[in-house]
Order: sequence, then C-alpha cells, then structure tokens
Amino acid sequence: MTAEANAGYAVVEVMDTHERVIARERIALTADKRTFTVGRSMQADIIIGDAYCAPLHVAIEIMPEGTVRVSDLGTMNGVIVMHKRYVQGGLPGAAQALEVPEGRLSIGRTTLHVRTASELLAPEKPDRARSASPLRDPAWIAGIGALAGGIQLAYSGWLGAPRDLATTIATMLISGALAAGAWVAVWALLSRVMQGEWRWLRHAAIFLGVAAVYVAIDSALELGWFTLGLPQWSTRAAWIGVFALGAALYLHLLHASSLSRRRAAIIACIVLMGTGGLGHWLQARYQMRDVNYIATTVRIYPPLLRLRGPDTLANFFEDTNKLRDAADAKRKAMRSEDDEDSDHF
Amino acid sequence: MKFPGALITALVLHAAPVIAAEPASVATDAGKAAAVTANTVAPATSENARDVLARVRPAVIQIKGFFGANTAQAFHGTGFAVAEGGVFMTNYHVVAQQVQYPDKFRLEYRTPEGKTGKVSVVSVDVRHDLAVVRAVDHSPAPVKLVPAIPVKGERAYSVGFPLDVGLTITEGVSNGAVEDSFDPRIHYSGAINGGMSGGPALNATGHVIGVNVSGYRFEQLVSFLVPAEHAQALLRRSLTAPPDDGKRRNEVQTQMRGHAAALLGALKQGMPTQAVAGYRLPAKLAPFIDCNASGDPTPNQPVQVTRINCSAKAGLYVEQGLYSGDLRYSHFVLSTDKLDAWRFVHRLSELASATGAYGSRRHVGPFSCENRNLRLTGFDASVLVCVRSYRKLEGLYDFTVRVSSLNGVKRGFASHLDMFVWISMPA
Repeated sequence: MTAEANAGYAVVEVMDTHERVIARERIALTADKRTFTVGRSMQADIIIGDAYCAPLHVAIEIMPEGTVRVSDLGTMNGVIVMHKRYVQGGLPGAAQALEVPEGRLSIGRTTLHVRTASELLAPEKPDRARSASPLRDPAWIAGIGALAGGIQLAYSGWLGAPRDLATTIATMLISGALAAGAWVAVWALLSRVMQGEWRWLRHAAIFLGVAAVYVAIDSALELGWFTLGLPQWSTRAAWIGVFALGAALYLHLLHASSLSRRRAAIIACIVLMGTGGLGHWLQARYQMRDVNYIATTVRIYPPLLRLRGPDTLANFFEDTNKLRDAADAKRKAMRSEDDEDSDHF
Repeated sequence: MKFPGALITALVLHAAPVIAAEPASVATDAGKAAAVTANTVAPATSENARDVLARVRPAVIQIKGFFGANTAQAFHGTGFAVAEGGVFMTNYHVVAQQVQYPDKFRLEYRTPEGKTGKVSVVSVDVRHDLAVVRAVDHSPAPVKLVPAIPVKGERAYSVGFPLDVGLTITEGVSNGAVEDSFDPRIHYSGAINGGMSGGPALNATGHVIGVNVSGYRFEQLVSFLVPAEHAQALLRRSLTAPPDDGKRRNEVQTQMRGHAAALLGALKQGMPTQAVAGYRLPAKLAPFIDCNASGDPTPNQPVQVTRINCSAKAGLYVEQGLYSGDLRYSHFVLSTDKLDAWRFVHRLSELASATGAYGSRRHVGPFSCENRNLRLTGFDASVLVCVRSYRKLEGLYDFTVRVSSLNGVKRGFASHLDMFVWISMPA
C-alpha cells in the first residue's frame, strides 16, 4: 500500500453543493512532488469555477502512508473539514498540515474528495435483493402499512355510514391515497434533489409504516380505555400524532438528505417539541377562548369487549368532587383579555 | 307549550338595541302623538282605562340607562312609586346592567311631563325580577299594592312606556297564576311590549296587582306579571335593611344561589321515572318541568330514535348576555333491527359526548370533565360529568352530565342533563 502510494497517483473528485461529482482529476505523485494546489487561477493544479474560492485556495499534500493534509494559502473563507470551518483571517499557511480524515474537505461551495490508493472501499451493494426479514424490507412495510391504513379508513367509514357504504369508503380511500401520495412525493422530490435518487418505496414505507403504528397504538389505547378501564387522556391522539410525526420526519430526513443521524434526530426533536408544545399551548388557549369546548370524548364499543367491570358510584363521585377545584383552577388561569365578549353572544 | 325554554330569553322586555338607535326627541314626540290618538278614539270600556291611567299617571316614571357619559340611552323601562320619599318599583332586568357594572352605566328617570333626574338602585330581587330604586327630587304619592292573585277573567290594565313611544295603558284580563311555573307569575292577556318592563299592572280600581315583566314576542297577548306580593316583600326588605352600595352584586350572587337551591329542593321530592323502550328513566321531576317526546316516524330506519326533552324553564336574567339558572334534560332511546353491534354502539357514542354548551368566556371558565363506566340500577353506563365555574360569582358552577347505556347491542339510551347555571355542587 505504502509503496504504491509513494509513487502512484491520487484522484480528486470535485463535487457541487449536492455532492454530485462534476469533475474527477487524476494527480500523479512522485517521491519529491506530493503536493498540489486547488483554486480559481490558471496557476492552480486543479482549477475550479467557484466564486467563493481564492485564486490559489489550498495546497493538499498526500503523505507517504496515504493520509491527506491541507494547507490554507491565505484565504478569506478558509477550509471546512469534518463540518468545521478553519478560518485564518487571510494569513498564509496558518492551517498548514491540517489532517483531512477520509480525504473530504470543502472550500467555497465546492467539496473535494481526495482518494488515494490506500482508501478502503465498501463491499458491493446488493441491487434489488429482498431483505431476509420483511420488517426491514420497504416493500413489505409499505404494503402492510397501506393495508392497515386502508382497513382503518374502511372501518371508520363502515361504522358511520350504514347507508351508501361503498361511496363513503371509496371516497375515504381515494382521499387517503391522495394525501399519502402527496406526502411521499414531497419527500421523494427532496431525495431526488439531495441524493439523486427518488426512493419512492422507502418514503412510502416510512409514511405508511409510521401511520400504521400510529393507528395501532391510538386504537389500542382507546380500546384499552373501554375494555380495561385505563385512565382517559383527552389529548391522547394529538400527542401520539406528534410523536408519529417526529419519527416519520427523522426517517424521511435520514433517507432524503445527507444529514447525519444526529442532525436528523435533532431536527426531528425540535420539530416534535415545537409542534407538540405549540399544539398544547394552542389547545389550552383555544379552550380558554371557547368555554363551550369539551375535549373529553366518549367512545362506546360492544359489551363483549368490556373486560373490566364498572366502577362504583362512590369512587366516581369522589373524583367528580375534584372537578370543582379543577374548574376553579382553569377559571383562575384565564387572562384578562378573555373578558372580551365572545362570539357566542 | 311548543317552544323550549330558550324562547324565554326573547321575553325579557329589554328593547335596548332598537330603541337606543332612535334620537330621544323624536321618540318622545311620537310617544305624545300615540297617547293623544289613544285617548280620542276610546271605546266605551276605556272610560275605565282613562280613569285608571289618570289615577296612576303621577306615580309612573320612565327609567333610562346610559352607557358612560352618553346622552343617547342604552336601555329603558318603567317604574312606579311604591313608597314616600321617591321610592319606585321596577324590574331587575331594567337596572341589571347598572347593578353589574355600576362604573359603566348610570340611571335617570323621566316623568310623563318630561321632568328628569337621577335614579339609584336600593335593592334587587333577581329571583322575581324586581328592583327598588330611589329617584332624586321626585316623590309622587305611591300607588297601592294588592298582594292577592286576581281571579281569571278579571279586568286588568298595564301601564308603561312601550318602545319609547310615551306613556301607554293597555287593557286586558287577568288569567290568574301561571300553572306549573317554577317562578310565580300572573298570566295577563293583554299587550306588554319592550319598555313597559317594571311598569304597574292594575285592576279596575287602580290598585297594583303585579309588575309587568315579560310576554311571548311572537304569540298573541300572552304576557306575564310578577305578583304584587313579591314587590311588597322586596319593598319591606329594602326599607328596613337596604344592602350596602358595594354589596349589591353579592346580593345578586346570594340570590342566584338561593334560586339554585330552591330548584334542587323542588326536585328532591322523590324521583319519578318512566319506562321508555325497556329502561326506567327520570320522568317529569317536578310539576313545573315541561317534557315533550318526539321521534321520526319514517319506517325502515337503521336506528329508531325516541327523544324526550325536559326543561324547568327556571332561567333568570342576570345581565346582558347571561341568562341562567335553568335545568334541562333529554333522553335519547335508540333501537335497531338492522345494524350490528359495532355500528349500533357507534351511533350511541355520538350521543355520549357532551357538545352544544353555550356560554360566554366573559362569564364562565373552561370545562373540566371526568368519564367512567359505572354500574347503575339494572345496567352499566358510561357517565361523563363536566363542570365549569363562574368567573365573577364564586361558588357557582355549570354542570353537564351524559349517561349512556353500555349493555345493549340492539337497544340503548343516552341521557343528557344540563344545569347551565349557578349550581353549587354539594361537597
């Protein structure tokens, strides 16, 4: 390896902001010339047309053992290595001998990938091979998710519409499919822009899989309240929805952009907390403003699903007595602006 | 009665929005013209009306309310002298805005001759919609109150300032006490229009039998009077122990509480039930409660629904936008021979949640709810209880309950109970 690198060549891939390779330069290396320069001017060994680069921006040195080092030649914008920008305020050579892991660095709006003979290549990726487990296969996930979502839509249509059932269910399925299709299309488009691939199936799997899990958990909790007498939680659906949105966002970002797992998770968390917190706040404000709004909804299922017996009246009355304090607390939390006449009168 | 209790809201003789828009001078001139016409074309029976009006005229005043420093009136009603020293009787709803917002509203009187001066509220009776006020520099001889319900068919007259067209007398007959009413009222078959509120209703000898209070707006001459005995009681109370100026709102609060307690007390005498499609459900809980049953007779419906709506018609006018103190309950009995269990109970679910409350955030806070499956007599039910508290009247709550049967898959029921008002729940 070392011997090859000593007197071989390196390949520099010049990439745009989407990390598409726009040029591939082969640089011959000799024992005494192991350094080349990159910049806009004719003097540079690799010439790039990037307005944010200096005429002579960096000097890149390939060490005999294959590692890459970069030196700033006195630029304004500096060098970015491992997401960190090294700016030396225009002092030449200040970033000398900065080691570049994996040979990846950015100057201006251009990313350079310096490949040497010592680089490790990933094994060949299987093309269109089915995953051993259906749980990891996007086609399976999308199929199961679509089936679950379709069943849920058809069930809710069937519950509420004893007449004209076929029309209701068909309308629901079509509108559900359109909504899902629009969502997946947005992410596929982002994938195409950022990664150069549409990744339809993967984004469909993410959306439909998360939606299926959301429906399953929400229905289980609602049914659980009825069958087992679990505590009622009026904002249940909203909170599970927020978490489902966060999970879907994380997975979509991971597959549609070049963000690291950590960054995708941070963005998903921020969006999750933002929508959850904002939604919670809005709901509280909405209830303060619409004093006729009752968040608790009652769902009744057939008696055969009830596993836990009824509660006693005494227990219930004890709890309803606490309602007075709860109502008083909510009243006190109202702001003076709520004094304004509501629209209801 | 075909109309639910909500119609009573329209009864309150509070002509404010329409009348306030007219210039005061124009309204007064029109009033004089109307009064003259009535006198010149008097039929034989009105000889009596002329005498009655002549006797009561010096004692009657128009009471006007003004918002802030405005000279255009905000609302108006009528009052009549009941004691020496400028003490007048009127309706609570005529002066309610001033009682609730004493910094925002002021009151003035205007005699039929055009003399004006200030008016202050002495004492109120929200339950019977009465108020005692004092006029500055106007002390006519009081009229006599007769604390007895006149018999049906007796000649009666009502005096006031309807729609701001000037002093008016209407002629009709008394039809005795209103049957099965929570609040005592005399049924007067004669015209009472907005602006006559608080005016005297008199018998043929010119004595006061009651105080004009309300009438059905879109019916024919079905009007109501507060019996004179309640006016007499309030007068006695306000002359012996008038409340402090600052505590008049507390007085309203205490009286609303008393109203709620009286309403609950009236219900406690046993709990009559009725059999509806195999369930025993609360029936007419008191004589004053109106119930009506209805259903859709269309055959072959997926779910047959029988509805029973009951109302106590006990609501009270508290202030503009707050009409409160009523009790309503409804039963919905559902049965099916077409739907399976899942879809049938789904229909029941739609009636098991609480919606359709009304109220303004100016007056009440948000609801807090508790929902549980409970064993009731003979069946299990999902029970939802929601409570919200009044903002300015502590210790008073709105209370709404939904009870839905859980056992049936071919038949079931949902019951709604709303005490949209002033219910202080027993601890």
